[in-house]
Amino acid sequence: MIEERDVTDLQTAVEPTAPATTDAAVSLHGVTKRFPGGKGSEPVVAVDAIDLNIADGEFFSLLGPSGCGKTTTLRMIAGFEYPSAGSIRIFDEEVGLKPPNKRPVNTVFQSYALFPHMTVAQNIAFGLEMKDVGRDETARRVAEVIELVQLEGRENRKPKQLSGGQQQRVALARALVNRPKVLLLDEPLGALDLKLRQTMQIELKQMQEKVGITFVYVTHDQEEALTMSDRIAVMESGHLLQVGPPEEIYDRPRTRFVADFIGETNLLDATIRDHGIAELRDGTQVRLDSHEPAGTAVTLAVRPEKLGLVRADADRNHDLDAVHGTVARATFMGNAIAYEVRIDGGSEPFPVEIRQGNAPGIEHFAVGEQVRVRWSPSSASVLED
Amino acid sequence: MATTLTPPDSDQTSVPPAKLPPGLETNAEKAESRRGFLIGLPAYAYLVLFFALPLAIVVVYSFATRSTTGLTVLADWNLQSYARLTDSLVVAITWRSLWIATLTTVVSLVVAYPFAYYIATRTPRVRAALLVLVMIPFWSNFLVRTFAWRLLLSSDGPVTRILETLGFANPRLLFTPSAVIIGLVYGYLPFMILPLYASLERMDHSLVEAARDLYATGWEAFRKVTWPLSKPGVIAGSILVFIPSFGAFVTPEVLGGTGTTMLGSYIGRQFVGTASDWPFGAALSVAILFVMMLAAMFYFRSGGKDL
Amino acid sequence: MSIVDTGDSTAAVVQDSVARPRRTVDRVLAGNAWLVFLFLYLPILVLIVLSFNDNDRVGVWTEFSVRWYGEMFENSRIMGALRTSILVAVLSTAVSTVLGTAAALSLERFRYRSQRAFDGLLYLPVIIPDITMAVMLLLFFVQAFDIVLLVTGVGLSRGLGTITLAHIAFNISFVALVVRARLSGLDASLEEAAADLYASRWQAFRRVTLPLIAPGVAGGALLALTLSLDDVVIAEFVSGAGTTTLPVYVFGALRRGVSPLINAVSVLMLVGSILLVVGSLAISRRRTGG
Repeated sequence: MIEERDVTDLQTAVEPTAPATTDAAVSLHGVTKRFPGGKGSEPVVAVDAIDLNIADGEFFSLLGPSGCGKTTTLRMIAGFEYPSAGSIRIFDEEVGLKPPNKRPVNTVFQSYALFPHMTVAQNIAFGLEMKDVGRDETARRVAEVIELVQLEGRENRKPKQLSGGQQQRVALARALVNRPKVLLLDEPLGALDLKLRQTMQIELKQMQEKVGITFVYVTHDQEEALTMSDRIAVMESGHLLQVGPPEEIYDRPRTRFVADFIGETNLLDATIRDHGIAELRDGTQVRLDSHEPAGTAVTLAVRPEKLGLVRADADRNHDLDAVHGTVARATFMGNAIAYEVRIDGGSEPFPVEIRQGNAPGIEHFAVGEQVRVRWSPSSASVLED
Repeated sequence: MATTLTPPDSDQTSVPPAKLPPGLETNAEKAESRRGFLIGLPAYAYLVLFFALPLAIVVVYSFATRSTTGLTVLADWNLQSYARLTDSLVVAITWRSLWIATLTTVVSLVVAYPFAYYIATRTPRVRAALLVLVMIPFWSNFLVRTFAWRLLLSSDGPVTRILETLGFANPRLLFTPSAVIIGLVYGYLPFMILPLYASLERMDHSLVEAARDLYATGWEAFRKVTWPLSKPGVIAGSILVFIPSFGAFVTPEVLGGTGTTMLGSYIGRQFVGTASDWPFGAALSVAILFVMMLAAMFYFRSGGKDL
Repeated sequence: MSIVDTGDSTAAVVQDSVARPRRTVDRVLAGNAWLVFLFLYLPILVLIVLSFNDNDRVGVWTEFSVRWYGEMFENSRIMGALRTSILVAVLSTAVSTVLGTAAALSLERFRYRSQRAFDGLLYLPVIIPDITMAVMLLLFFVQAFDIVLLVTGVGLSRGLGTITLAHIAFNISFVALVVRARLSGLDASLEEAAADLYASRWQAFRRVTLPLIAPGVAGGALLALTLSLDDVVIAEFVSGAGTTTLPVYVFGALRRGVSPLINAVSVLMLVGSILLVVGSLAISRRRTGG
C-alpha cells in the first residue's frame, strides 16, 4: 500500500519532463537500466538510454544475442523491472514505475509460467478473475480464446498433461483473453523443437493479424525475427543498433555486428578512391552507393547468395563488380553449393563465401579452379564501423 | 535525454561525478526491500529475543563468579571459568566425547555407505519404499528409541542372553562406552544414510560403466569413480552425525554410566543440584558452541549446502 | 574364491565375467541392508512386546497383559505431562510455521541489506547442540524473570509458557529451512505471471505461491511438531517444578530406574509419532496421486 503511493509520487515527478504525445503503442525514451554490480564494482548497465517507438498493431521484434538487454527491455515494459532513468509510455500513459498488475499489457513467458496447480481453464480465467470480470463474461471469453488457440476439450487438463506446443498455446490464451493493449512475448518458442517452432511462427503471425494487438517479441533467433516481424530492433550490449523492417535489416545492415548477427555475410575491407568507387585490398576497384569522402577506410558487406561465380575466362559483364580468386572449398548442401573462394593478390588473400543454387543449368566448380566472384553494386552495403 | 528525465528531487549536483545519479527505480526498489524486511521481521525479532539475547547472556555468565553457596554473582568479571577448561577432568571428558563421537561417525559411515548404495541402485518404486522404512524410526521419538536399547542391553535383556549363549562370560554392555556408541549410531544413522543416498542417487551410473569400459575392475571403478563422486555425501553425513554425537546429552544419560560422562551431560550437571556452577557451565557451552561452529563452517565450505 | 574360479574353466566361460562378481557384491549389499533394517526395527519391536509383559521386572517375560497401559491412563502425572506435550507441540508448531514461512519468503524472494545476518541467525538454532540451547534459554528466563520481578513485582515461573517459547525458537529455523527449499525450486516467473495477470501481491501469494509451497509448509509443520514432541533436553531445562512434558517425565523416571510403566508410555509416544508420519505420508500420497 505504502510503496504504491511512493510510485505515484515519482510518477508525477517524471511527468513534466516526459516527451510530447505520440500515437505509438509503446514508446521508450532514454530508457536505462542499471543493475548493481558485485561487491564494490560498478553497476552493470543492461539497457543504455534507448529511444524506441512501437506503432499500434505492429509485430515488433527485439533481436539480439543473450545478455544484449532485450529481455530487460521487455521486462521493463511489463513492469517486472523498473527503469533507472527514462520514460516508458503505453498508449501515451506513463507506466515506468507502475507495478505489473496496473499495466495494460500481458506477457507470454519463456517458461510459459503456467500455474501447475490450476487447470487450463483456471489458468486462462485467472486474469479476468483478478480484474473482477463477471462470471458469465469470464466463461464466454475463456471459451472464445480456447477456440482461438484450438484447445477445445482440454479445458480441464493440468498443464503437466499437455505437450510443449499445447502449453505454449495456453500461455498465449491466458495473455490474450485479457485483451491487452500490448502483448509481450519473451522467446515463447524457445522450448519447442524446430518443426513445431516453424509451424508456431506462422500461427503466431496469423493470430496477431487476427486479433490486431501490438506484439513485442523478444528473440535471439534471427530467422524467427525475419519471418514474423513487421519491424525489428537489433540490440547489442544495451544499445539499439538498427531498427527497421526485416528486408532493410537484412539487405542494408548498418553495422558490422548487424551484418554478422543476421544471416551470413562476407566483409570486405576497402578504401574509398573516388566518388562511388572503392578499392579492395587486392587492388580491384568496385562501385558502390556511398558518399564517403576519398581516402576513407570502409567495410563492405555482401551476402553469400548475392555473389555470383563464373570461370576466370568467362565474358566480363560490366554491370557487375568482380574479383579474381581460386576455389578453396566446395560444400554440397542439397539445394545449394557453398564455395569458399580465396581472393588472389593483395597483401593477404582472404576467403569469400558464396552460395550458388543447385539447379540443373548452373555450373559447378572444382577446388583449385580459377574463378571470378561478381556482385551488383547495389547488393553491397557500406558499414558504419 | 536520460538525465533530464531523472526526478528533480534526486539533487544531482551534490552527487560526486564518478557516481551515477540514483535511478528512478530506487524508491520502488527501496519499498520492495522494506516489504521483504517487514515480512521477515517477526521471525527475526523472535530469534533476536529468544536466541541471540540468550546467547549473549550465556557469554556474560561465563565471565561471572560462583558464590560459595552455588549462586551466580554478576560481578567480579574474570576468566576463571575458562581457565578451568584445561582441568584434567574437563580434558578427559572432552577426549572421551571426541573419540566416542568419532567412533560413532566411523561406524555409521561403514554401515550406512553400502546401505545407501543398495537403496540408490534399486528401482524407483523399491527405492521410495525403502526410504520410507528408513524414515519411520527416524521420525519416532529419540528418547524412546534410546530407551529401547536400555531394555535390549540390560543384564537380563535379549542381547546379553544371546552373548551368554555364544560363550561370552559375564557380558556387560549397559553403562559402558559401547552402549553409548550403539545408542548414538542408532539415533543418528539416518543422518548418515540420507546425504549418502542423495549423492549416490544423483550419480550418473554410466560413469561407472565408462570406467569398466576403460578396463577398471569393479573395485577400481568404485575407488576411482563412485567414492570420489559420493564424497560430498560422506562429508555431509559425517558432520551431521559428529555434531550431535559430540554434544550428546540424552544418550550418555540413558545408556552410559559413571565412566562415560560426555561433555553434554557434564554441562548439564553444572546447572542442577547443589554442586551447580553456572559460570563454568556457561563457559563450557561457549566452548562447545565454538567447536560446532567450526564443524559447521567446514560443512558449508565443503559444499554441504547443496544436500 | 578367485582360485576356485580359475580352476573351473568351463563355468568361467559360460558365466559373464562382469556379472559374477557383481552378483556376489549385490548379495552382500542386500544382506547388509537387511541387517540395517533389523538394527533399526528390532529395538522398537522388543519395546512394544515388553510393554505387554505382566511382570514387574522389565526383562522377565511372564504373560501377556495390558495392565501397564491401564496404570498409565490412571496416572494423573503422566496424563498431565501428555496434555502439556500436546499443547506445547501444537502451539509452537502453529506459531513457528507462520513465522518460519514468512522468514523463508523474506529471504528467498526479496533483497535487502541485513539479509545475510538474518540468514546466519536463522541457521544457528539448527546447528547448535541441544544442551547449549537449553543452557542459553535457562539463563535467559532466569535473568528475564529476575528483571520482571524487580520492575513489576510479578513473580513468573517456568512452565508451559517457557517451554512453548523455547520450542518456537528452534522450530522457526527448521520450518524456514524446509519452506525455503521448496520456494527455491519454485519458478519465480510464476509469481511474475500472476502480477502480469493483474493479481495484487497478496492475491499472487494467496492464489499462486501458497498453494505451490503448501507441501513444504506442511512438511515444515510436521517437522516442527515432531521436534517439539521429541525434545527432552531443552524442555528439561526450561520447565518448572509443576509442568513437564512427557519426554521430560520419561527421562526423569529413567534416571530413577526402568519400570514397565515407562515401556507403556514409550509405546504410546512411539505410536503417536508413527501415526503422525504415516498419516502425513498417506495424505501427501493421495494429493499427488489424485
